[in-house]
Amino acid sequence: MSEIASNKALESAKKDQDIKGHMSESREKLSLFLNNRLGMFGLMLVVLFFVSAIFAPYFATHDPFLMDIPQRMSGPTLEHWAGTDQLGRDTYSRVIYGGRVALKVAAIGVSISLFVGLLLGMLAGYGPRWLDNFLLLIFDSIRSFPTIVLALAAVALLGPSLELVLAVVIVTSIPGYARLARTSTLALKNTEFILAERSLGAHPAIIMWRHIMPNVIGPLLILAAMDVPVVVTIEAGLSFLGLGVLPPTASWGTILNEGYLVIRDTPWPIIAGGIPLVLTTLGFTFLGEALRDVFDPRLRKGK
Amino acid sequence: MDTKNLLEIRNLNVDFKTPRGRVHALREVSFNAPKGKIVGIVGESGSGKSTVIWAMTQLLAGNGVVECGEIFFNGKNVLDFSEDELRAFRGEEASIVFQDPMTSQIPVLSYSQQMSDIAYRQRNKSFREKIEHSKQIMRKVGIPDTEQRVYQYPHQFSGGMRQRAGIAMALLMNPLMLIGDEPTTALDVTMEAQIIHLLRSLQEELKSTVMIVSHNLGLVAELCDEVVVMYAGEVVEQGDIRQIFHNAKHPYTQALLECDPARVSNRARFLPTIPGDLPDLHIRPNGCVFAPRCKYALQRCEQDRPETYVIEGTHNTKCHLLDSSRDQFGTSSTIERQVSKTETYDSSLKNIIDFEKPPILNVENLNVRFEIMGPLQALLKRNGKRFVDAVLNVSLHLRQGETLGLVGESGSGKTTLGRAILGLVPSSRGSVEFDGRLLTDLSESVLRNLRQDMAMMFQDPIGSLSPRKTVGALIAEPFSLHNKEKKNLEEEARRLCDMVNLPHSFLNRYPHELSGGQARRVGVARALALEPKLIIADEPTAGLDVSVQGEVLNLMRDLQARRKLSYLIVTHNLPVVRHICDRLAIMYLGRIVEQGNGEMIFQKPAHPYTEALVHGVPQPDPDKRRNLVSIEGEVPSLTNRPSGCEFHNRCKYVQEKCKTLMPQEKVLPDNRTVQCHFPLIN
Repeated sequence: MSEIASNKALESAKKDQDIKGHMSESREKLSLFLNNRLGMFGLMLVVLFFVSAIFAPYFATHDPFLMDIPQRMSGPTLEHWAGTDQLGRDTYSRVIYGGRVALKVAAIGVSISLFVGLLLGMLAGYGPRWLDNFLLLIFDSIRSFPTIVLALAAVALLGPSLELVLAVVIVTSIPGYARLARTSTLALKNTEFILAERSLGAHPAIIMWRHIMPNVIGPLLILAAMDVPVVVTIEAGLSFLGLGVLPPTASWGTILNEGYLVIRDTPWPIIAGGIPLVLTTLGFTFLGEALRDVFDPRLRKGK
Repeated sequence: MDTKNLLEIRNLNVDFKTPRGRVHALREVSFNAPKGKIVGIVGESGSGKSTVIWAMTQLLAGNGVVECGEIFFNGKNVLDFSEDELRAFRGEEASIVFQDPMTSQIPVLSYSQQMSDIAYRQRNKSFREKIEHSKQIMRKVGIPDTEQRVYQYPHQFSGGMRQRAGIAMALLMNPLMLIGDEPTTALDVTMEAQIIHLLRSLQEELKSTVMIVSHNLGLVAELCDEVVVMYAGEVVEQGDIRQIFHNAKHPYTQALLECDPARVSNRARFLPTIPGDLPDLHIRPNGCVFAPRCKYALQRCEQDRPETYVIEGTHNTKCHLLDSSRDQFGTSSTIERQVSKTETYDSSLKNIIDFEKPPILNVENLNVRFEIMGPLQALLKRNGKRFVDAVLNVSLHLRQGETLGLVGESGSGKTTLGRAILGLVPSSRGSVEFDGRLLTDLSESVLRNLRQDMAMMFQDPIGSLSPRKTVGALIAEPFSLHNKEKKNLEEEARRLCDMVNLPHSFLNRYPHELSGGQARRVGVARALALEPKLIIADEPTAGLDVSVQGEVLNLMRDLQARRKLSYLIVTHNLPVVRHICDRLAIMYLGRIVEQGNGEMIFQKPAHPYTEALVHGVPQPDPDKRRNLVSIEGEVPSLTNRPSGCEFHNRCKYVQEKCKTLMPQEKVLPDNRTVQCHFPLIN
């Protein structure tokens, strides 16, 4: 009797262990991430960026369009934390609202290019040879264009707007995702488990969606995290050149642009517009690198 | 320190630090390697046999720690060496031949550079002298044309030659000890025999000490003088080769020897196995490590750690059963265990082959041809062949309930043939008829639907499972693919789990959390989900330990008997094939050279190639060592087929006629077909 009881206890203990063993994989990754200080710092910055952009009205102290001509181009004061610009608008509030533009471009631009890039990349990798060659030709032609020149051409034709900036960002970053997805797909295409799925009679679309996508998406997400600052700087750069967001809308690029004109009178708009750009870039880069370290065991350092 | 021992390991304990706690990889390991002898360390995966080598050369992975113990090499404790001393020790006093020469040699450096780099400490020698020395060593290991070949790169060498070069590199500094870490595992049987022969003759010539780490009992029996048997990080038994193989005392050693299919001489329907799994090495066992799987375990075995009992000379073992005073404890009754499934298989199997119906699979003159260069490239290269024929005019048939073994060395086209039959690789000519339908004419979408009736099992048990899916999702997938969603998928998954003896708790696991044997069972469950009529199994036992191998084969057999399955088993492992196949087809360079009844082929091979394969398997018996290598040379490249009989350049019985004239297929009196001018029987 007691033997049976002890057997049962043993079995349930084993079951617990099984569950633990199963959990610990993701827990291990989480603890690895939590122990990465730069990554946590990056995550903090990213969270700050999101929260301040989404809840901009609560963070801003002034209406970003309200002009206070008598106090134009003041340095930081108790009322205007980051000073005012040449029209007397509160720079701090404009920076906070500018974050909304940056977030919009980053979120929409990166997610669309990630999705389209993933799809085209898997098609190129898994599809027939001619499709691969055709898509590669397109990717390479896009990549051979400098982004700014492409944007200049587009603006010259269609006039500056936020949508156009987005379109340029998406078109130019798709090839990066697609190429990465294609390479991973090619490596997976000839593995035994894909062959096993084929031997079970799985449709190619099912194989791509259920079996290739989950194995390809990881590195792409990391690339996306590292791509956000690039996209934000492209938007800021284009707006700085007057090709993106149009005044009076506040964006980090337009703040820099306008501050640049009055840099001899006051450095504050440039400083206030530049700091969030630097912090966001750093934040996403650190986060992306931390994610890569966690998900790519080969890069993990031995202890 | 005994001067007759080159290596003495005493009470070695090694731990690996992992995020899930410490893994006690080696516990109280002690053994000696006498000078001038060949010592074999045998064990299944996870036994810690390789860890011993890494601890000895101080090349443990970053998270490995030597907890305590001593490793005396030639009188000095290796663990006290400084970095400089270690560098001098590795490669010059003890050097290693690795399992896979493809990954252990530097692909971008020629052998001349790699070998002169190894001799970097001999500053007084010029590069030219080092090269001369390298050539000498390469000649010694049997590499022809060393003048040119020393300047070649690893990819220009064939598998067997590459391993010879690996041995040459290990011998370059004239080490006191040569260590082989699974030196033949990546090679074919025929190559394995050549390497065993080479190692033995080199050892005799150089009088050096050799340590071989392997899971292959046949290799150890052929090669070694002393054997150390390891299980789950402990040495369970050690001694002279004959004592271990003929008079094993530890139940694990006995079970391991029993499991080896090459040792079971009569064609048993079911193979012996060791039930249970390797213990979790995170927990230090209180008693004997093997107790949970031991047939004879006593109550005491689970509580006290066994001591070392000396049986005779160097032969000793750690097992309570040998304690002569055990009866006074009054606990000698063995622990009752559940009778494992393997023992309950119905062994009174009748022949289930259905000779009435037409064969379920009929392959006629099948050809598979791969394009290796485009038409333009071929024009530019003039002599270059555009195509490679991987499978040439293969005809075979398979009846319901029958098992056909497809055997050959790597590069014989056996895997390609298996895939071509299922239409996973396009065939260029010939026909495949399955269950009355001509598969070669069907469109991809119709074929996809037909795949429910024919399944495939792949070589790599874990690699053939989609890594991001749970076992439950993987097992139930065939149903959703073929629109059988009406069925309760979870219930079906559990039913299939029961069928392959997999606990239900595994349904939530991911493939990388499974052991090889468990993953293989998932593969079997997937293959059987839709109740197919034909299963093509590609190396069903590759990558599995001997104790698990039998379990998988028994399961396949049992399912065959119950469901009248037909198997086509693609393998290079002849002992396994012998136990489960009714008929055999031997492939060489894409052609079937001999086909017929399995037992007859084993007893009296008709084709010289078959004979070489049958005799090429090392026997797990130290008294049956072979003195001759059964087959010389290597498989020729498919792009450069020999004239006449394609086997003539490796054939022992070659005659003038063979070199020019291609033999026709002959039917022998016992219904065997053979492609040879001078078959070895009648």
